[in-house]
Amino acid sequence: MSESPWSRIGWRNLGRNRKRTVLTALGLAVGFFAVVFIVGWSQGIMAEMVESATSLVNGQIEIHDAEYRPERSLYDTIGGRDGTDVEALLHTLDADAAVVAAAPRVYAGGLISSGQATTAGMFMGVDPARELTLSRFLDPLLIGRMPTLGRNELLVGEEMARQLSVAVGDELVVVSSAADGSMANDLFTLVGVFGTGLVELDATFAVMPIADLQTLLALPPERIHEIAVATSDPWIAETAAARLTDSLPSSGRAVEVVSWATLNPAMVEYVALGESMYFVIIIVVFAIAIFGVANTMLMATYERRREFAVMLALGATPRSVRRVVFSEAVALGVLSLALGAGLTFPLMVWFHTAPPDMSWAVGDVTLMGALLSPSLRVEYDPGFWVASAAALFATAILASLLPAWRAARVPPADTLAGL
Amino acid sequence: MARWGSTFPLIGVLVGCLATAGAASAQTDPLEIMDRVDQLMRGDSSRGVAIMEVVTENWEREITMEMWSLGTDYSLVRVEAPAREAGTATLMADENIWNYLPKVDRTIKIPSSMMGGAWMGSHFTNDDLVRESQLTEDYDIEVAFEGDRDGSDLWEFRLTPKPEAAVIWGHLEFEVRQGDYMPLRARYYDEDGELVRTMAYSEFTEFGGRLVPAVMDMRPTDKPGERTTVRYEELEFDIGLDESFFSLRMLQSRR
Repeated sequence: MSESPWSRIGWRNLGRNRKRTVLTALGLAVGFFAVVFIVGWSQGIMAEMVESATSLVNGQIEIHDAEYRPERSLYDTIGGRDGTDVEALLHTLDADAAVVAAAPRVYAGGLISSGQATTAGMFMGVDPARELTLSRFLDPLLIGRMPTLGRNELLVGEEMARQLSVAVGDELVVVSSAADGSMANDLFTLVGVFGTGLVELDATFAVMPIADLQTLLALPPERIHEIAVATSDPWIAETAAARLTDSLPSSGRAVEVVSWATLNPAMVEYVALGESMYFVIIIVVFAIAIFGVANTMLMATYERRREFAVMLALGATPRSVRRVVFSEAVALGVLSLALGAGLTFPLMVWFHTAPPDMSWAVGDVTLMGALLSPSLRVEYDPGFWVASAAALFATAILASLLPAWRAARVPPADTLAGL
Repeated sequence: MARWGSTFPLIGVLVGCLATAGAASAQTDPLEIMDRVDQLMRGDSSRGVAIMEVVTENWEREITMEMWSLGTDYSLVRVEAPAREAGTATLMADENIWNYLPKVDRTIKIPSSMMGGAWMGSHFTNDDLVRESQLTEDYDIEVAFEGDRDGSDLWEFRLTPKPEAAVIWGHLEFEVRQGDYMPLRARYYDEDGELVRTMAYSEFTEFGGRLVPAVMDMRPTDKPGERTTVRYEELEFDIGLDESFFSLRMLQSRR
């Protein structure tokens, strides 16, 4: 197009009123910035929501006995009544390329009591070393240290500590139902308090070394309820789970390998809903811009109607006149995109690598049960940038349709006669 | 009379029915019967020894326990065997339950959120232990059937929760033998009208001059093969206990 005289005329016309051109181009550039930045920010929230929901406690994949969910019975341990070779299972998981961490867990509901106060809780037996590589909720602890195996030590969440009015060093009575039907009860010492910011979680969980909980519950060491698995990226968990289902050593009883997406379909749907909104945002933002651009171009072509009349009088076809206006629109698009990119990408890099912390203005936010930090981190999505650039050009060209049509229909004689 | 009924509430109420039978003439107004029973039961004390056998899919166990009760509001149960759990005790006073754990020498109060939980691993809930006295308060009672069924003349009472009652059952059905006011069966239905569990009473035996069912058998519908069976070995009535007996200090005494 750059070879054609029409496009050169179009390009030069932009220089005719530079202030107006820059303002119009800025309209489109700011539209581009708004779309890319809003969507980048929204994707940042989505990514953090998924990351937070999966890495705080649960991991991206959970492995259970096939019967374990949804009742989560004490007896439905991996491998059933006979249990499983936990070390072999962990070894297999560690060998998988997608797996960055794997940790065994035992769960049991029960009561925790201190003095007059008693609360219902969920006991979680963990392998402290492995757990710290997988989940974030115990690292760092608000106060205290991790429990040591064999010394009846445990951690509770800060809300539970508040409800029980206990501090590190206090003694807690722990009561549950053991696997042999007896009433499991013992004294534990509180050695640390964790705080996730999710009140329900901080009010519910009490964490102790897995072997101590197994002893309390009269469960042998080979009986565990869950192995939580972390993958390098939440979005590969689904395929990794399918692969692990086939590769895990079978102990005769079915195991279930489920990804967070299966366990939390609402969150997947939420992310999908967000993505479908991005194109609505493009349409809304550029639909607003299109009227501004069309108005400016109509004025610009009206001012130049004598010029078009001369072109037509000298034998230019209406089509050539339309091409002049279209070329001007394309040139405006190029200019706008350059301005938009210059405005957007430095800010994107800044907000991606060092997002401003907004915690001075808003506290922690929870979304779909996941905790979000109040930062303005944006995610990169080059595919969406291309779509936004295409939308910008489409806007410029659509905005020039009416001006082009009117420019081509200028009556040469009347116009030149000053009528 | 039957304060042991406090421990196994519905039984208590129905045993109460029985006990009244001697004094009252045959009576088919269920509300009147149960109200009278309720009044008669207040202030009466009892002591008994029972063996509770719990069978679940995963384990079976037998617990021997000694139990005391006073009216509908107080009872105390202490485990005697197996030895490992001996001394474990439960105190019920009004709507509250405390458990004493001899292993750690601590008493804990069951929080209200856990009242639906199993008591001592059985198919009874903590709520079952404290709720009995409210049957006539919480439910409308009507005679659903009267006549011969399976060879006994009986009444079947249907208990429907009053609109404002905070209860977990959709409705209850009780079968009471007409001749001697012996409870035969209690059925518990959820809000969808599905049978949740059935309690059967049998081996009607005279204890302390009163005819009572010596065996109660609770079976959950959704877990075939599981059951909790309580068998009274000893039972005596009107032994002169007062409220001071049902204290946290008594709960913790290992005797």
